[in-house]
Amino acid sequence: MERRRRLGPLGVLTHLALVIWTLLVIVPLLWTFLASVKSEDEIFGSAWSLPETLRWDNFARAWEQAHIGQYMINSVIVVSFSTFGTMLVGSMAAYVLARYPFRGNRAVYTLFVAGLAFPFFLALSPLFFVVQNMGNIPVIGQFIGLNTHAGAVLVYIAYSMPFTIFFLAAFFRTLPTSVGEAAMVDGASHTRVFFQIMLPMARPGIISITIFNILGQWNQYQIPLILLQDRDKWVLSQGIADISTAAGYDADWAALFAALTLAILPMLVVYTVFQRQIQSGLTAGALK
Amino acid sequence: MPSTPHISRRDLLRAAALVPAAGALAACAAPASQPAASSSAAPAATSAANPFGVGDKPLEVWIFDGGFGHQYATDIHQPLFKSKYPNVEIKHNVTKEITKILQPRFAGGNPPEVIDNAGADMMDFGALAQDGQLQDLSPLLEAPSWDDPNVKVRDTIDPSVIEIGTYDGKFSVLGYVNYIHGIWYSQKVFTDNGWEVPKTWDEFLALCETIKKSGKMAPFTYAGKHPQYAYEPLLTMAAKIAGHDVLVNIDNLEDGAWKVDAMKTAAEAMAEVGAKYLMQGTAGLDHVQTQTAQNKYQVAMLPCGSWLENEQKSTTPDDFAYAMFPIPDITGSDAMPYGTLHTAPGENFMVSARSAHPQAGMEYLRAMLSKKAAGDFSELVTTLTVVKGASEGREISPGVNSVTQAVAAAGTNTVYYRVFAWYGQLNDECKAATGELMTGGLTPDAYLERMQKKADEIKNDSSIKKFTR
Amino acid sequence: MTFNRYRRGLFITSFLAAPVILYLVYVISPNIQAFYIAMTDWRGVSATPAFIGLDNFERLLGDNVFWKAVGHNAALLVLLPVITIIIALFFAFLLNVGGQQGVSGIRGSTFYRVVFFFPQVLAVTIVAVLFQQVFRPDASGMLNGPLMALGLDPIGFLSDSSFAFWSVLGVLVWQAVGFYVVLFSAGLASIPKEMFEAAQIDGAGRISMFFRVTLPLLWDTVQVAWVYLGILAMDVFAIVWVMTVQQGGPDWSTTVMAAEIYRNAFGYFRFGYASALGVVMFLFTVGFAILSLRLSRRERIEY
Repeated sequence: MERRRRLGPLGVLTHLALVIWTLLVIVPLLWTFLASVKSEDEIFGSAWSLPETLRWDNFARAWEQAHIGQYMINSVIVVSFSTFGTMLVGSMAAYVLARYPFRGNRAVYTLFVAGLAFPFFLALSPLFFVVQNMGNIPVIGQFIGLNTHAGAVLVYIAYSMPFTIFFLAAFFRTLPTSVGEAAMVDGASHTRVFFQIMLPMARPGIISITIFNILGQWNQYQIPLILLQDRDKWVLSQGIADISTAAGYDADWAALFAALTLAILPMLVVYTVFQRQIQSGLTAGALK
Repeated sequence: MPSTPHISRRDLLRAAALVPAAGALAACAAPASQPAASSSAAPAATSAANPFGVGDKPLEVWIFDGGFGHQYATDIHQPLFKSKYPNVEIKHNVTKEITKILQPRFAGGNPPEVIDNAGADMMDFGALAQDGQLQDLSPLLEAPSWDDPNVKVRDTIDPSVIEIGTYDGKFSVLGYVNYIHGIWYSQKVFTDNGWEVPKTWDEFLALCETIKKSGKMAPFTYAGKHPQYAYEPLLTMAAKIAGHDVLVNIDNLEDGAWKVDAMKTAAEAMAEVGAKYLMQGTAGLDHVQTQTAQNKYQVAMLPCGSWLENEQKSTTPDDFAYAMFPIPDITGSDAMPYGTLHTAPGENFMVSARSAHPQAGMEYLRAMLSKKAAGDFSELVTTLTVVKGASEGREISPGVNSVTQAVAAAGTNTVYYRVFAWYGQLNDECKAATGELMTGGLTPDAYLERMQKKADEIKNDSSIKKFTR
Repeated sequence: MTFNRYRRGLFITSFLAAPVILYLVYVISPNIQAFYIAMTDWRGVSATPAFIGLDNFERLLGDNVFWKAVGHNAALLVLLPVITIIIALFFAFLLNVGGQQGVSGIRGSTFYRVVFFFPQVLAVTIVAVLFQQVFRPDASGMLNGPLMALGLDPIGFLSDSSFAFWSVLGVLVWQAVGFYVVLFSAGLASIPKEMFEAAQIDGAGRISMFFRVTLPLLWDTVQVAWVYLGILAMDVFAIVWVMTVQQGGPDWSTTVMAAEIYRNAFGYFRFGYASALGVVMFLFTVGFAILSLRLSRRERIEY
């Protein structure tokens, strides 16, 4: 109470501003959650009325008919593999490029980093045909062509390279060289030095770039849009976009809101649980 | 630790600046690899019973999940096909966004066999035709009909289907449903309020005024998010005023075709409705929302096609009694008489020329055109098909009844346009411009100016294949 | 020694092989092909594309819709970073040094930071669909419902061509702010507390402290934010494609370069033309990068 009294007019405005933005963020989400337990008529009625009965069956429809569960599993599969792969090959490349001078190092590094300036949409149509042709490779083609999760994972990894290598290389350059050199003298191989010494030392950077990649790949819409065409292969971002169009024909708006809720809540829960790590990770690596 | 953002930013920007060099490298790159055209495997032997030589390969079918749903495919068409070809596996698929999902398949050279290319997001038939993606369905026309080996398929369907489905001299698109466009209303509402179906445009405007003043509901609406629902009555009106040639000229991209007087009168008429009589919020609502509003008696009239009754069956009150009326007489001297209708075969089915099993695709269409399949379809989705006499002796709904009467009254006075199926860009521009016309963002003159400009642009673009009728 | 050098070479090769191959196949080769395709009339699979030189580029000069899209990207390029950075800086300042003593964070700052970041963890398409509903044009819309209850006319957030662009911008800012609050907070946290205390002893109020201490010390971070947001503004796609009516409408009022490329490629089958648009988009992106580089250099001299 005492502290509150000491708030000057500026302090009040400060809090007001923060509260307003908080509401701007939270209210649309709460409104969606509210609509997810309304009936069709209530959704088309007054926007802020409370539902008469809670319609949990909306969720059942969203889960079964709108396949939200399937899309979410697909997203988790694709993003886990692609983020892991991105971090593995990205950190390997970044490490070599940052710490091993060799002829062509600069050129390879530049080639990777130049990718930051390529708009994805320049490659859009040719990429489609590249992946299509991958599907024609004997034996492995069927796993990495169009409409395969593995094919999408490889594309995700490739398009995450510029950003990942750019930041990790910068990070590896800042690490002290002495520990690795000592280990080499003791007879450790280059590979061992990387996995057992350098990688653990680079942890803050690795964590933050991993988070960036998870967020970016989870958000990905245009790559799956062209590469994953079968409904049962779709990722969440495609599924949600489809349900919104679908609601226009089926008029099952209640299920749309339930599907949105199902897509939003797990993300918020995961984020809130890990928020400390995520926020410190995001900034520790990328900024310092 | 040194501050990385420092290094980062500058490295990033420097790297970006280097990129033009990479671009120069690109100029000497190899051409894009061409996916091998999937060769249709040697067809199985043909016979009177199997006229196209259907083999054992699977048959992939994509149905647009719109007003008709897709139950008709799984419950009517596919079992009928299966009864004859039990060994052919049917892969049934459904989507609401045909283009988004299937266009990449075409681009990739592995399109599905049969596609119901319909809906707001249907694929551009002109581009498909130019690309040689459409299977020539002429053999289908000449094949014996499913029901009677002595009658050709050609003779069992409405002749306009063939005319409209012809691209480049080849019949390649089968419109399955006979779509009739008009202004839809509830007979109950009109009877209860003593409102009369308007025969002239003045009567129509007077009716709108009466409804507006009554305060009971809004007079008019259309699917604002999809302005094609508004350009349809506009073009039909223009054809009614000055004759079918208005639409033929527009289709053929004739110079000044959009800027004729009849188009101006029609655009002004629609703009007036847009300015005075629309339900609030119309511009932001889609077809389901506006149609549902009509079912809830919030709005009296809306322009739509004959799929409406089926599309709305879950929200229509039992005593609603759908009915439609044709575009009223605009001037005292319209070139075409009262009752003129825009009719066009719709729910366009196509077979992909580059699919693995086009023979089965054609056979699937032949099954669809059987009297049984077409009749069951009409009954299930309360809509007429293009198969002659298929709905005879079937139970019909008030809406279909009203459409049947309108068709009979129109006789040969029917009009249609194809320009938007031929040129996707013109369609998108017309949607954009019509939306603005209806909300007052464009004057009728500016609207026609803009459409003419786009039509000219397409006409002068040598990379776009032209069609004529 | 030779053996060591061999081992070193093998190590470098083995570590670089996978990333380089993936990158060449999926990123470099499509980009290079795009430059060639841009000079063909390729419309799909059937015909061998005919080489038509710069025809596509000539054609796009007269493509009103594309230039509208470019205009929208340009507007976003300016507005998105400016608005987002101002809001984010403001909140980061309040949360970190806006507290009682002027040097500590405000009460509840952890809570605010967590909540502000929420939009960032939602997939863009989810945000797009969410706002489609929020912006509904009748009494059932989250925003129009209250407006109409107050007796005002509903706003066509997405259906009025003079509003729709601002709705798109609003959603982009809504989603971006949280991340930059966190980014700037981290930047502020790395500034020694003594700097603020010294300024306070000099009698600086919170506002003058923001301009005299916070902003100059955060300038590098702000520039990073500018580049990120600039790239975001150039690449906008999902929000427009999913949220707006007629995918970039009404009346092309929200379309962006990426949407026009996608529309021409997968909507009209004009792969050659779409690639030409892609090349132009690429040139604009490089232009933006060079411009940023120039501007930041000048800053450096003044610093």
